[in-house]
Formats: sequence, structure tokens, C-alpha cells
Amino acid sequence: MSNSQQIFEAWLAGKITASECEQQLDQNTEWYSRFQTAQMIQRQAKAPFFAPVPDIDTMSVFAQQWQRPTQSHSWWPRLSVAFSALALVISLSPLEMQMQDSGLTLSWRGGQQIQQEQLDTLLASYRKEQLDYIQIQLQNTQQQQASQLILLKDYLTEQQTKERRTDMLELVEYLNQQRQSDWHYWHYWQENYQPSQARLDASAVVRPNR
Amino acid sequence: MFKRSDESLIEKAIGGDAKAWQQLVSRYQAPLYYFGLRLLGSPDDARDLLQDVLMVLCRNLAQYRGDSSFKSWLFGIANYRAMDMLRKRKATTEFTDDHDFYDDEAPGFEQQLYGQHTQRMVQQQLRTLPPEQRLVVELRFYQQFTFDEIADQLALSSNTIKSRFYAALDKLRTQLELADVEQSANF
Repeated sequence: MSNSQQIFEAWLAGKITASECEQQLDQNTEWYSRFQTAQMIQRQAKAPFFAPVPDIDTMSVFAQQWQRPTQSHSWWPRLSVAFSALALVISLSPLEMQMQDSGLTLSWRGGQQIQQEQLDTLLASYRKEQLDYIQIQLQNTQQQQASQLILLKDYLTEQQTKERRTDMLELVEYLNQQRQSDWHYWHYWQENYQPSQARLDASAVVRPNR
Repeated sequence: MFKRSDESLIEKAIGGDAKAWQQLVSRYQAPLYYFGLRLLGSPDDARDLLQDVLMVLCRNLAQYRGDSSFKSWLFGIANYRAMDMLRKRKATTEFTDDHDFYDDEAPGFEQQLYGQHTQRMVQQQLRTLPPEQRLVVELRFYQQFTFDEIADQLALSSNTIKSRFYAALDKLRTQLELADVEQSANF
């Protein structure tokens, strides 16, 4: 960018005055003539322009594009819809309205029966649950008793076997002791009494009528 | 009186405020119409351009993001539409301009420093420029946009804009000198 261009553009941007620009571009014919032309157009641009401006209707497009129809703030339609909905709910539900003794009663149609049915169902369910529990407990108890009886039987059998064996051993020992005692006695008799007895027996044979 | 910013008016208009929209339109209606009048040379075409730009503006008001000034954004739309109209017109028929935009009855107009004659001559010579150069001169002198703003609007480089601008000045200088010589010869 040349120096003259910079000066010219500084004037265009309003950084220097026209006279300053004119002075500085005085020697440069090309840029001076551009400056003069630009000044002429600028003056022309600043002159007022009085041609009538046509009126363009943009409001319809604007309304269509950006304006939304204002909503009605009346409560009546909403209230009407709410009551209709309420009436529908009341007619479909088991809710009952009764006028009695200058009073209004709201109740659920067939409520006691439903409650009784619900109670019966619950009780039946509870009963079944309890029976199942007792049944299981009984089975467990029976199984435990059976296994304990088997254990007791095994124990008793074992004990009996042990006792019998002990008795037998004691008997054998007793018999052995008896035999040994007899044997001792026999020896003693043979040694001490057999000869004299033999004599006694012999004398008895001699005198049989006594 | 307090003047609302363009951004504030846009925000209100988007919210459905008709007054804000009317105020925005009235603020730019005349500059847009005169822009069309100078560039296209015909009041009918200028009116069509104004209507077209205002309709586009109304439909795309929410598209303005505030990256540039609203005026610059608006003239970006106007430039595109005007050049489109010029191209279509050139394709159908060569334009001959014999319109006179100046209202002779306007108050004080006779007392302008550079009289009606000079202004008409400059205006006539401006209309002989190629559309691209005419547009740059229009935007620089009449709409007071900087070279960078014009470059943004036309999606061109600043150097290209300057090149067009100086070429337009040179051509205008030559034509004005020729016109001056012809007038002197006629007298």
C-alpha cells in the first residue's frame, strides 16, 4: 500500500481533514484526482434526497410470522371441562353420594362386601401359609425323631453286645476258676483222703449188714 | 428522546411487539429505498427491492446474531437481492435509465451548495458504472460502511473491494471530465 493510498484512506476514515489530505496528495496527480472525485461524490451523498418513500405493508407478514393469537383467559370453559371430568369420574367409579338426614354422605359402593372378600382372602392365605409351615415343621420333627431312634437303637445294641460279652467273659473266668478250684480239690483229695477212703470203703465191703 | 437500539427493537419484534417492528421498518425504509433507487435506477424496481428485503427481514429476524451491526447485516441482504435483480434484468433487457429522482418542489433544495445540475450529473455518471463498482461506491459513500464491512457483506476480500472502489473513482473522473467538456461544447 502506497503512502498516498494511506493518506487517502485516512481521510475517508475521517482521521485527517480534507485540507490535510489535499495538501499531502498535491504532488501525486493520480491520488489527487481520486480525492477530488471522492469529495464530489461525498458531497452528493450528503445532499438530502427527497424522493417519496413508498409505504410497504409489512404488518400482515409480521403478524403471521411473529404474533400469536391471544389466548382467552376466561375460566368458564376450563371450569366446565373440570366439572364434566369430575362427573365422568363419579359415574364410572363406585363412589356413592347419599342425602340422609339433611346430610351428604360419600361412600364407596359395596365397600363392606369388598372389605369382607379382601379379609377372607387374606385369612385364607394366612391359614394356608400357617398349615404349610406346620406341615414342614412336623416333617422336620419326624425326621429328627427317626434319626434319633436309629442312633438310640444302635447305641443300645452296642451296649447290649458289650454287656453280653463281658458277662460271658466273667462266666468263662468263673468256670475257669471253678475248674481250677476243683482241680486243686481233686489233687488235695487224691493226696490226702483217697487212701483212707479206700480203706473205709474196703471195710464197708467186709461188713455189709451193718 | 431516547432512541432504542436496533437489537432491542429486534428482540421485542421477535416477541411479537408490532410497534417495535414498525419502528425498525421506519428506521431503515428510506435508506433501503434510496439505495435501491440509486442502484437499480427505477422507482418500481426500488419499491420491489424494498418490499423484498423487508419480507426477507421479517421472516429471518431471528437469524440476526449480532456478529456485525444490524445495518450491515440488513444491507448484506439488500446487496444480494439488488445484484440478483440487476442480473435478471440484464438477462432480459438492457436497462436505459431516464428516471429523475429529484423532487423539484422540495423545500430548500435549490439552495444546495452543489446545485441540482451537478448532482444529477454525478448521479447519471454513477449509474454508468458496472454494478459491482456502483455497489461499492454506494455502500462506501452513501451508506458509510468501511471497506472491511463491505467486504464482509459481499463475502470478498478487502483488497478486492478497494480495487473496485478505486477503479470506480478513476472511471467516474474520466466520465465527469468528458461530460464537462461536452457541456462546454454545447454551450
